[in-house]
Amino acid sequence: MVTKTEETQLNRLENQVDNGGGGAWEYLCLVKKLKVRRPDKVLRHGLSILNDPKKRSALGPDVWTLYEQVSIAAMDCQCLDVAKDCIKVLQKQFPESKRVGRLEGILLEAKGLWAEAEKAYSSLLEDNPLDPVLHKRRVAIAKAQGNFPTAIEWLNKYLETFMADHDAWRELAEIYVSLQMYKQAAFCYEELILSQPTVPLYHLAYADVLYTLGGVDNILLAKKYYASTIDLTGGKNTKALFGICLCSSAIAQLTKGRNKEDKESPELQSLAAAALEKDYKQRAPAKLLLLTSALKSLKTS
Amino acid sequence: MGELKYELSQNAYIKLVLHARKHKTAAVNGVLLGRVSPQNDAVVEIADSVPLFHSHLGLLPNLEISLIMIEEHYSAQGLGIVGYFHANERFDDLELDSIAKNIGNHICRYFPQCAVLLLDNKKLEALPKGKDRSPVMQLYIRDASKNWKLVGSDGGCQLLTKEPAANVVLMDYISSEKWQDVVDFDDHLDDISKDWLNPDLFK
Repeated sequence: MVTKTEETQLNRLENQVDNGGGGAWEYLCLVKKLKVRRPDKVLRHGLSILNDPKKRSALGPDVWTLYEQVSIAAMDCQCLDVAKDCIKVLQKQFPESKRVGRLEGILLEAKGLWAEAEKAYSSLLEDNPLDPVLHKRRVAIAKAQGNFPTAIEWLNKYLETFMADHDAWRELAEIYVSLQMYKQAAFCYEELILSQPTVPLYHLAYADVLYTLGGVDNILLAKKYYASTIDLTGGKNTKALFGICLCSSAIAQLTKGRNKEDKESPELQSLAAAALEKDYKQRAPAKLLLLTSALKSLKTS
Repeated sequence: MGELKYELSQNAYIKLVLHARKHKTAAVNGVLLGRVSPQNDAVVEIADSVPLFHSHLGLLPNLEISLIMIEEHYSAQGLGIVGYFHANERFDDLELDSIAKNIGNHICRYFPQCAVLLLDNKKLEALPKGKDRSPVMQLYIRDASKNWKLVGSDGGCQLLTKEPAANVVLMDYISSEKWQDVVDFDDHLDDISKDWLNPDLFK
């Protein structure tokens, strides 16, 4: 998960390296730090360093992590020969290493040899029962085969032990959403908000799930979380602003004819609408008319 | 349903495939814009497409906003939402999932001849090796019992590209990495200065 500033910084660096301006090592380190998935770039720029003996030796002991990073990127791009070569280098340098053993397992996955990969991980897990990466690779195998019930089961089991692994909670939430299991997805986002209450993305995702679940209570709650997202992002999150408008419209529809016990203050909706219009006027003027009529249709529906 | 022909314009077709190619590791979706042909009501002309999302396809809020704005924009051109495009996350997954069916059902309420297209990655991969002119997508139509059925080559309905050389152009764009320039609704909501109409994509 990256912030906008991080993404801009990464893209700028990427452009620089792509166009021969140097900075490959900085780029690769940033990609690793931000945990983003850019396998073709990592492969290209990583190999440019690894294939140059001078550049290699300049890295010192960091060269081994680069081999690891490049081997994974190679597998992601289905360049299995490159991956195999990198792993061989690492095997020579670190014989009997469990970390290299993991890479061998991932290579089996990349080849689609699920049973063999599963066996490799199980045997590694015997000596390292608490290695989170191994557990997650097993979930990945289930997911790659489209075996969602197993993936969910193992991911839940993993989270019983490693309940602070936010990426795993997010992964589980996304699997649930893709299967339209919204209640379960909501639970995951609740966990994330509990442990990291100032991350706006979780508030936003939770609100989206609540809205999708539907019903007045859920939508009222969704509105609160869109509001907290707006709070946490200084009013700059377009999706949250739209969320407020959608919620207000949905609540109005659902409570039509009811006595308005919940004094739904229309101010929040008008504020959100005004913020959207201001933003579109400035940054997307060609779409302003569309926005205004969309907001109007939400108000009157 | 009868024997309907779905004529997919080259731009609509390529935009959707490029969008899927841009987000290789995710499921993506899009909507098809068009109308029943004024000359022949057995033909549905799909004139354009809008790539929608590459994450959280199963969540409603962004979908609702996008459909409101898209419908509003295209109705001025006499076009409506006539179908839905979906590309699964995994390469060999050719199953139409519940999200795609639900969205398809929703569109059917306004356009009963709604087409649901599913990207066929194997066909896409095989393009450079053959001379296949048919779109690299599967066509699904809702039958009388409201189930989504795959239209086979022996079926009454048909999906074809309006321009016969569409696949050649597609392969060209893929090799020149044109997919990097595709903007979807997700991108727009993250940065509203990005235009989901992709006006300059094919210039």
